Amino acid sequence: MPEMIYDGRYVMIAFWNRRIQSGLLTENPEHDKELKTIRKEIRDRVKKKFAGSLAIRMVDSGSCNACEAECNALSNPYYDLERLGIYFVASPRHADVMLLSGLMTFNMTPHVLDAYEQMPEPKWVISMGDCPVMQAPFEKTFAVNAPAEEHLPIAHHIPGCPPSPKEIIEGLLVFLRKM
Amino acid sequence: MKRLIARYAKEYATHFEIVTVWDNAVQKEELPLEDPHIRTLSRTHPAAIWFERKMHDDFGIVIEDAFDNRPLVAQERFPKGIHPMQKNFRETDIAYADYRPYKYEAIGGDGVFEVAVGPIHAGIIEPGHFQFSQAGEDILHQEVRHFYKYRAIEKMLEGKTLFEAKPIIERISGNESLAYQLCWRDIVLQATQSELPENNRKYHALLLELERTIHHLTDLGFIPNDAGFGAALAYASKLSEEARRQMQVLTGHRFGFGAVDFDTHMLDVEVMAHYLERLEEAVVFFESWISDIPSLWDRFDTTGILKKDKAVKYDTVGVVARASGLALDRRDTPFYQAHGFEIQRETGGDVSARFKLRLAEVKNALVMMRSFMVASCEAVTPGCVEDGEYFAFSESSIGELFMSVELKEGVIERFFVRDPSFMNWQALHLMMPGNIIADFPLINKSCDLSYAGNDL
Repeated sequence: MPEMIYDGRYVMIAFWNRRIQSGLLTENPEHDKELKTIRKEIRDRVKKKFAGSLAIRMVDSGSCNACEAECNALSNPYYDLERLGIYFVASPRHADVMLLSGLMTFNMTPHVLDAYEQMPEPKWVISMGDCPVMQAPFEKTFAVNAPAEEHLPIAHHIPGCPPSPKEIIEGLLVFLRKM
Repeated sequence: MKRLIARYAKEYATHFEIVTVWDNAVQKEELPLEDPHIRTLSRTHPAAIWFERKMHDDFGIVIEDAFDNRPLVAQERFPKGIHPMQKNFRETDIAYADYRPYKYEAIGGDGVFEVAVGPIHAGIIEPGHFQFSQAGEDILHQEVRHFYKYRAIEKMLEGKTLFEAKPIIERISGNESLAYQLCWRDIVLQATQSELPENNRKYHALLLELERTIHHLTDLGFIPNDAGFGAALAYASKLSEEARRQMQVLTGHRFGFGAVDFDTHMLDVEVMAHYLERLEEAVVFFESWISDIPSLWDRFDTTGILKKDKAVKYDTVGVVARASGLALDRRDTPFYQAHGFEIQRETGGDVSARFKLRLAEVKNALVMMRSFMVASCEAVTPGCVEDGEYFAFSESSIGELFMSVELKEGVIERFFVRDPSFMNWQALHLMMPGNIIADFPLINKSCDLSYAGNDL
């Protein structure tokens, strides 16, 4: 590469050159066609029910942080979840869906219930990972209140330890179909 | 000055034992079961206070002369008078007690106000609470309050064999799974008096460096993102996704859960070498690009400084300690040095230093990973597990991890682990004065500590 890219003026140009060369990374995980129809489904259903976008509030009720890492991965260029009209939002008051990971610890349970209270109707809870359904290797202790379904109405569950980004997308699509 | 590594209690039939682990010694002290008292170490080692507050919550041991006697793990609605680590506590369900407010550290004065942040945060991150005392935008003081994710891991593991405990140990902190697994491995090796062939050690070290690479790359994206430079996140999150996929190729799992065992493993050296080549090229570009964004470094430089003397005083470890000039790294051994390890250090102690340190450690990990590649490692059958007390250390992507297991009749009598985050969380508030609250996410992310590993 030419020396000039180390000059501040050219550094963003070098970046964009590289960006153009690498092309589009985003994968439509294996089932392009299915995704296309589902996107139409989402558009139609989400348009009617959610005015065009599905807003998710992720709540960790005592996970190992792997579920959160995979949810963050949903925003990387390989998955780019937002192109499906699905967004992670900062407040439960902006959310249609709570995506719940973790073991519902004794110390977190009241806060999870608070967050659920704050969500406007209609609202749904999707649990993710093996923790909220007590399928992970962790065992029941006095500090663990899972399974989550004893505390919240769970509309759908996405299994895995942790579920991969692809499995999370597929799980969300199954949920949207179920609604 | 001696460095405090850990301090914890063990209950025996006739007495409590307080174990204090220093970098050059292990001290043990006996206390009676009735009315146990111990003197605080927090006057000289401030980071002893969380260990001691935890000891009180867990066992009911009273800490004398402490500047802070508030509960740590037991939160507002935790039942009073319960000390769950005592051997005679066997409940699996406890009832919520009446709400008892927690008295946060706060600074008073005209116009000074408090900002409460958490436990649920705006982003996709773990829960914890931060309480700020503010004068306008300026942070006067911050208190870190955690243990929302407290799962009682130590209690959960009692009565299990080392092998039964493994699936839980590797899931204590998802970002540091390999580091936890390496501590577990070293404890199994000690307890069975077994040796591991060189190739197996190299294979495990390779996985640990790959885990570090994934974690650092993630941060190299998220730190600039918290300063408003999203392009870096797009680029680095692509690299961390690719590294995670490489972990899947090597171990069959994106986080390497279940990766460290005593079985035989094959490695496609050519595929791995090719991957490392591509990664190196991308990292070299990333560095030249990111180094030349002045508005970004304007946010990084002098933000969230931890001075070297404070880093020492608070017994910090890992990335935080090394970015403040300390030469602390559990990999600083002949084994690692023979494979290209060079301790990385910065002196600034600010966000810049922690960012640059991560970049330097990724580059050093690349050198080591090349050297650690082995085509295969052989199966080993560890011998019989012998009772006793075992200590192990590893260097996770956050810092020094310490694990101690006491085995009795072949099962775990006491499990204790000190995540590097447990030390570094206690130093976070030192980085705050002189900064504005809007820079808090940036400072916090530059340390990227674990909540799950801290809370247990």
